[in-house]
Amino acid sequence: MAKGKRTDNEKRNMKEPPRGEETLAAQKEKSAVQPEMQNDGEERKPQKNADGGRDSKESAGRGGCENKNGKTSDLQENVKSVKSVLTSEDILVFEFESENGKKFAAIFADGLIDKQLLGELVAKPLRDAPKDAGYGEIKLLLASPEVKDGTDTAGAVKEISGGNAVLYIDGVSDYIIIGVKSPPVRAVAEPPTQVAVHGPREGFIEDIKINLGLIRKRVKTEKLQVKTITTGKKSETAVAIVYIDGVCPEGLPEKIEKEINENKIDIVPDSSYVSQFITKRPRSLFKRCGTTEKPDIFCAKICEGRVGVVVDGSPICLTAPYMLVEDFQSVEDYYITSYRATTLRLLRIISLLIGIFLPALYIAAQLFKIQIIPFQLLLKISSSVAGLALSPSVEMFLTLFVLEVLNEASIRMPKYVGLALSVVGALVLGDTAVKAGIISTPAIIIVAFSAIGLYTVPNNVETTTTLRWLFLIIAGSLGPFGIVVLCGYIITYLVTEQDYGVPLVAPFAPLIKNDLYDGLVKADMYTLGTRPKVFNTKDKVRLKRLKTQKSSGGGKDK
Amino acid sequence: MKISVRQICFIMFAYTAATKLLLFPTVLSLDCGRDLLLPALINFVICGIVVWSLSYLSSRTEKTFFQLLEGTFGNVFARIIYALFAVMFMFAAVLPVFEQKQYVHAIFYDTTPSFTVFLPFFVFSVYAASKKFTNIGRCADICMPIFTVCIFAIFAMSFLEVEWGNLMPMFRTPANRIFGSSLGTAYSFVEPCWLLMFMGHYKYKKGDAAKITFSYAGGAAAVLLFLAVFYGIYGAITPSRTFALARISLFFPAIETMGRIDLILLLVMEIVMLFAVVLNIQLAVHCIASVIGVSGYGPVSLAVNLAIGAVVVFTSNMYQDVYTVYFKWLWIMFIAFAVAFPLLAWTLKRRRE
Repeated sequence: MAKGKRTDNEKRNMKEPPRGEETLAAQKEKSAVQPEMQNDGEERKPQKNADGGRDSKESAGRGGCENKNGKTSDLQENVKSVKSVLTSEDILVFEFESENGKKFAAIFADGLIDKQLLGELVAKPLRDAPKDAGYGEIKLLLASPEVKDGTDTAGAVKEISGGNAVLYIDGVSDYIIIGVKSPPVRAVAEPPTQVAVHGPREGFIEDIKINLGLIRKRVKTEKLQVKTITTGKKSETAVAIVYIDGVCPEGLPEKIEKEINENKIDIVPDSSYVSQFITKRPRSLFKRCGTTEKPDIFCAKICEGRVGVVVDGSPICLTAPYMLVEDFQSVEDYYITSYRATTLRLLRIISLLIGIFLPALYIAAQLFKIQIIPFQLLLKISSSVAGLALSPSVEMFLTLFVLEVLNEASIRMPKYVGLALSVVGALVLGDTAVKAGIISTPAIIIVAFSAIGLYTVPNNVETTTTLRWLFLIIAGSLGPFGIVVLCGYIITYLVTEQDYGVPLVAPFAPLIKNDLYDGLVKADMYTLGTRPKVFNTKDKVRLKRLKTQKSSGGGKDK
Repeated sequence: MKISVRQICFIMFAYTAATKLLLFPTVLSLDCGRDLLLPALINFVICGIVVWSLSYLSSRTEKTFFQLLEGTFGNVFARIIYALFAVMFMFAAVLPVFEQKQYVHAIFYDTTPSFTVFLPFFVFSVYAASKKFTNIGRCADICMPIFTVCIFAIFAMSFLEVEWGNLMPMFRTPANRIFGSSLGTAYSFVEPCWLLMFMGHYKYKKGDAAKITFSYAGGAAAVLLFLAVFYGIYGAITPSRTFALARISLFFPAIETMGRIDLILLLVMEIVMLFAVVLNIQLAVHCIASVIGVSGYGPVSLAVNLAIGAVVVFTSNMYQDVYTVYFKWLWIMFIAFAVAFPLLAWTLKRRRE
């Protein structure tokens, strides 16, 4: 592309790269923190080629003629061929030449690379490039730690779209891919969905490289394997399959990779899409894939034998196979005493059951079996519901519906309006509705308690909320026996389900004694010395306590 | 293997007991008064021996009952026997379903509900019976702890009110009444048939026969204790108290202040009872599927449930007559299938693989 044909935007941006106040060392450090996304950059080799830097890449000669493969060594022609594919205005071309007159062109996507880094690591070192320098020589002059060879235009387009810079050299048909990616990312922070009083506060962010770094930081073993694939025809989203070799069941990563590859979708904006790819029953009411925003939990899970899936652009990482019990295991359970953890876990389970069943039981009791309610309480309820225009089930439906609306609105509304929403929801709607005789106080108490109960297991709120509605409908229509039958149906459904050979309700059905120690109860660290049996891992031991030789009575160590 | 020994043990404990807590105690007390434990004990001892013999037979062969029959008498004969077993299981399911219907209507509803309230049972049953042995075993894994906790809590709530003297003096009932009662309630003792169907579907290890037999003995002990507690509470008026499970904890002092908290336990226990009742239907479906040689149980399950549902619907007001038929006539069938056939299984050609 001729310089005169560039847009104003391009010209403005092109001036930016050489300027930079950061030192080269600092920038290198920065680039190390943000490694190349495609994970295919090769390390710089200090030694030169035998021919002094020239190599076969210069086969096209200096005259800009086309070689037999249809490739040209003319710089402008190469730039033009890339720009003919990447026609968007945010694809910039930074042309520069050395003091000796050697011409170069770096092509990149605006906003995805660090321009200062490009200037420091590419433009600055090439300032001294001799006019007749060959491909290999130029490659060695570059200060970037991540460079890779490229040959075809399609590959260049892919790299540029992926956030890398592509460097064309006048007189050379091939190009160099330079890892100077710096996409806009937020800082690593505590995830709002998994807040912990004890334990690490780091959370995953939307950048796959940083997320993989957070994992690698915790699991330093050479057996940690990361396999990167892309999914999404348009988005070409990078997906990393993470597992520990020898711990993860054999063939599981390949199965998960196959499941992901079998889905051809336009765009994968979030890991929730991938979670549906890797589950056998994506239409299931129940969650079928483990999710976490915390690297410590992710690492603990892959150390148990699961496979982790990190999706670029999503702070929520996946783990598979998934068991229902996982969501009852809170972040903190492993950082506090086992007694406290067990108490909290039981509390969570009871709260969840209350959250699901309380509205349904209340309705069933009022409509069909009033004896279930204690007499004194029954008197209170009777006085509250006396004169209500609505039937108990309609009243409960209405109250629950309002709760769902308030819940939805409070999530979507700007937080500054949240206070107003609370006032309107709690005071105006709640208080006034009771005073107006539309709904009763017990109904509000029950719905509020139910809502709180469900949020003790936040990862399963989608499922439990739906279950609460189902039980409410069946209790209002069929009464207590309807609740029992639906329970039976759900149990039968749950025990049937399994992904990758791991039953959804393990370790309860089938009962796996060893794994029960981290089920309803949480045993101490030493009791959990082996990995969950359900995964059938090769390496079964995760904690071995070496017996220390105690000193004899005389105080001397033997 | 489709089902584990542990799961069979759970079935033998929880389902054995769960199917005998509704009308069974009332019927026994009506016939034998304070000696109600004796006919139950006789049945349990006989079935216990058959259970032990069948579990021991599993140590000698890894074949299923169908394969044993096939190997000895040929495929057609095996199919005929399985068809007969299917009929037996369907008969064995009808009365418990009836009991469940009566129990649900009487205990879980203040006013008599319409029949449609019970119909969802069949929807559940169609779904559950379309599953195979793996699923039956896993359901037992869930049901066993639920049953244990609930029955323990119900016992705890009722023990304080038991007048143990009501059970004395024992052995005053004529032997013919005791044996008659024992035979009449044979419809409730089909556990050996369950084990016969599970044969060859689990891997036998040394000591498993004892485990299964002890589990069955555990279930039997729970039922006998329940009978004793029930009679201990109500004494001479026991025969007029139907649905023993719902009556046994009525006098728990805390109920006055806390309401019928035992109803929560009964509701939870009802889940286990559903699975226990459906087991006979599941096995009937299994037998029919083996006879006609289909792998998918769905359509068979639908057909079997429609048949049982039709019987229950059309005879809903004739419970007494249906019960009389079972008590007076059908005991022969149940004894033949639950005792004779399993013992005869020893005579079939077997070869340890």
